[in-house]
Amino acid sequence: MPAVQDTIDRVRKIDVDQYKYGFQTEIAMDKAPKGLSEDIIRFISAKKDEPSWMLEWRLEAYRRWVTLDEPKWARVHYPKIDFQDLYYYAAPKSTPGPTSLSDVDPELLRVYEKLGIPLREQEILAGVQKTDASELEEPSDNVYKSGRVAVDAVFDSVSVVTTFKKELAQAGVIFCSISEAIREHPELVKKYLGSVVPTSDNFYATLNSAVFTDGSFVFVPKGVRCPMELSTYFRMNEKNTGQFERTLIIAEEGAYVSYLEGCTAPQRDENQLHAAVVELIALDDAEIKYSTVQNWYPGDAEGKGGIYNFVTKRGDCRGHRSKISWTQVETGSAITWKYPSCILRGDDSSGEFYSIAVSNGYQQVDSGTKMIHLGKNTSSRIISKGIAAGFSQNTYRGQVSAHRKATNARNFTNCDSLLIGDQCGAHTVPYMEAKNATAQFEHEATTSKISEDQKFYVMQRGIPEEEAIALIVNGFVKDVIQQLPMEFAVEAQKLIGISLEGSVG
Amino acid sequence: MNIHTTPQRTPAETALIDAFSDRLSLLPGDGTVMLKRDDAIEAIKSGLPTRRIESWHYTDLRRLLTTVPDFDPAAAPKAIAPVVEGSAVLPVLNGVSSTKLPEIEGIAVQRLSEKLADGSIAPGLDPYGADDAIGALNTAFVADGYFVDIADGTEPDKPIELQNLQAGGQTHVRLSVRVGAGAKAVIVERQAGEGAALVSSVSQLLLEEGAEVTWLIVQEQPDTATHLAQFKAHLGKDAKLTLFVMNAGGKLVRQEVVVRTTGEGADFTLRGINLLAGDTHTDVTMVLDHAVPHTASTEVIRNVVTGRARGVFQGRINVHQYAQKTNAKMACNTLLLSDDGEFSTKPELEIFADDVVCGHGATVTEIDHSHLFYLMARGIDEKTARGLLVKAFVAEVIEELDDEAIVEALETRLDGWFAAHG
Repeated sequence: MPAVQDTIDRVRKIDVDQYKYGFQTEIAMDKAPKGLSEDIIRFISAKKDEPSWMLEWRLEAYRRWVTLDEPKWARVHYPKIDFQDLYYYAAPKSTPGPTSLSDVDPELLRVYEKLGIPLREQEILAGVQKTDASELEEPSDNVYKSGRVAVDAVFDSVSVVTTFKKELAQAGVIFCSISEAIREHPELVKKYLGSVVPTSDNFYATLNSAVFTDGSFVFVPKGVRCPMELSTYFRMNEKNTGQFERTLIIAEEGAYVSYLEGCTAPQRDENQLHAAVVELIALDDAEIKYSTVQNWYPGDAEGKGGIYNFVTKRGDCRGHRSKISWTQVETGSAITWKYPSCILRGDDSSGEFYSIAVSNGYQQVDSGTKMIHLGKNTSSRIISKGIAAGFSQNTYRGQVSAHRKATNARNFTNCDSLLIGDQCGAHTVPYMEAKNATAQFEHEATTSKISEDQKFYVMQRGIPEEEAIALIVNGFVKDVIQQLPMEFAVEAQKLIGISLEGSVG
Repeated sequence: MNIHTTPQRTPAETALIDAFSDRLSLLPGDGTVMLKRDDAIEAIKSGLPTRRIESWHYTDLRRLLTTVPDFDPAAAPKAIAPVVEGSAVLPVLNGVSSTKLPEIEGIAVQRLSEKLADGSIAPGLDPYGADDAIGALNTAFVADGYFVDIADGTEPDKPIELQNLQAGGQTHVRLSVRVGAGAKAVIVERQAGEGAALVSSVSQLLLEEGAEVTWLIVQEQPDTATHLAQFKAHLGKDAKLTLFVMNAGGKLVRQEVVVRTTGEGADFTLRGINLLAGDTHTDVTMVLDHAVPHTASTEVIRNVVTGRARGVFQGRINVHQYAQKTNAKMACNTLLLSDDGEFSTKPELEIFADDVVCGHGATVTEIDHSHLFYLMARGIDEKTARGLLVKAFVAEVIEELDDEAIVEALETRLDGWFAAHG
């Protein structure tokens, strides 16, 4: 595995401060006043030039939200969030709706350049690729460079630019920010928004429905195979803001789309809130592949600061023979509360969930999935790998259920946890509910530390301890890494190496 | 979701609270015991647990407990023969212990009403957590039962059978057993009867250093009874406990198993079979704490679900940070034989120590078609073949017990159930 050596080198080069995306940028911002009220929602809606039905939808969600309590069941602990002490809207000051890259604040472009996100599509089109191995290690290296990827860049509350739109439009694919979709394709948004995660779903999803500011919208029409990978890059920059993005992906009959999501935030002492909602809809024979590399700022070594990542992600296999696959690599965030799920409604539909959650320092992860079998002959597969180090707590929480009519439902679940150090915790909480005699569910879970035998075997061949552990850990997560698109897989392996730095010894 | 509501009391809750004021003057106990009863009824006044309480997620007691029968002082259960022939029998009939106690060398037996009256059992009456509704119900109403003390080094040559028999009404019983250092015993806890009773039964077991106990819970209530039971055990240094639970009856059954290893080298084995039929609800919930280093546990639960029955298994293994070198394995396998039946399982691992080996597995499935084909290809008709496979599936767990008399006795009970429900 050549990336392992690469990971180790990379880890060594990084200073005590491991989080390389912790810089912040001074950009003129346009902000709503602090706090949340109907007026703020009207302000956001007006800012985004939304039709009145959208405002009504938001207000209805808000009115419901004020009656709700925060969920307490997850194994995460944090001081109470003051929802009135947050900015719900922060956008870079620039001409509304830039039409080309030249309209975008050059400072902003520099941010994305620093993050290694290619917004200058012409550069990629011209085949400007850095192939020199030494350059790989520069922090500005571009993880997506080997292939063509259309990117939607979301900066705090708004989408600043979406690339490759024209080329995608030729194939019939709509890829734009959700605010643009609300303006340009209201019939699609009206039909699908909230149909998978209703406004009443849960505390954070309801909050998101009321105040979401931007996110991506993807529509792949009947029979179209999306010609390139689609990607959104989320960046939180402003102080005291919450980021509430909303992503909606629709794959019509026989369509295919692969979508990647990445995220980073500056290093700050206070905690920041990120409450997103992602909805996927797959009609007959459609397939959606959704990959996430989540690397929000996790807080410092003492557990100060970091992002609260409270996300609702759900896919609806609405059509027969449809397929939704979630792959996630979770290394960031102070607290993660996220359960990408599949509703297997169509007959013969299938859902997959591949996850690696790495926690170190004082991070708390409570993540997993739900596979809800409703249709006949539906199948699902869950592979979850948790790695806990330092003082972190890592929980897998998942549910698999077969309803009465879900004949021949099939599930296989495997969740393994690896503990590095004796101050961390690993927890497994699977729920299995079978209401159909022909359902076949299998679940297996193990928790252990890195076996001395394995370590001995590797070290005996002259490999130092830290490298030996990295090698074993990479082997442990191999099943999931294999599911990631190539460019992401390399990045994910590096991230795992970085997250675990200093935990060995 | 999460909307504030002030729940109205259900008829069952009201009946329990009223029954407490009626019974209060008849309940034995010194000042401390009576204070604990007051605390317990306060807990019930704040409402029976609903599915929002995590440990009751699949057994919404508030919704499922629809009626609470009145106490029936005239109820007279029939005596029954022990599971293993020749056992020393300690019966509790309609919630009242016997005055004639058998004399066994090295074993002191006391009526629990006496231990309640003098307050010496008071410390054991505390609930083990805020969600311990069975503990609270029992503490509020318990009037009798037994306290059994097996002296150090005693090895009785026959099993001791604690029988809790009902014939309708309400019974609330507590069975408390201390097994001294190096003692070895087989104890059978028998839960049966013939009425539509509400039964709460709490068993407490303390194993001193090196004690070895095989404890069998045989629950065969009629399908009209509500059976809420709890088994709590503490395992001292090098103590060994094999707990076998068989649920083959009851309308609404919850059997909690709460075990804590408190001494190094302790070893806990749980084997369970749940035979579910009719329109019943059976829940087995285990909480196991590995609190010290070098302890081991294995749990295997086998379930057979027929008719419109609903089954639940929740198993939580907590490995404390100090409990290095823990070895814990849990498996829950279910045969779901009818489309109207359902089974829910939640095997949890909570691990705070790194040098451990823990695992769990769970499966839910129907009978393997290739097995069925194998038998039918040999001329066995489908019904018999299915019966053989189902029996083999559960009998495997029984056969692990190495005492022949017990294996035989349990297989007889198993055959009885299959004859009635096969």
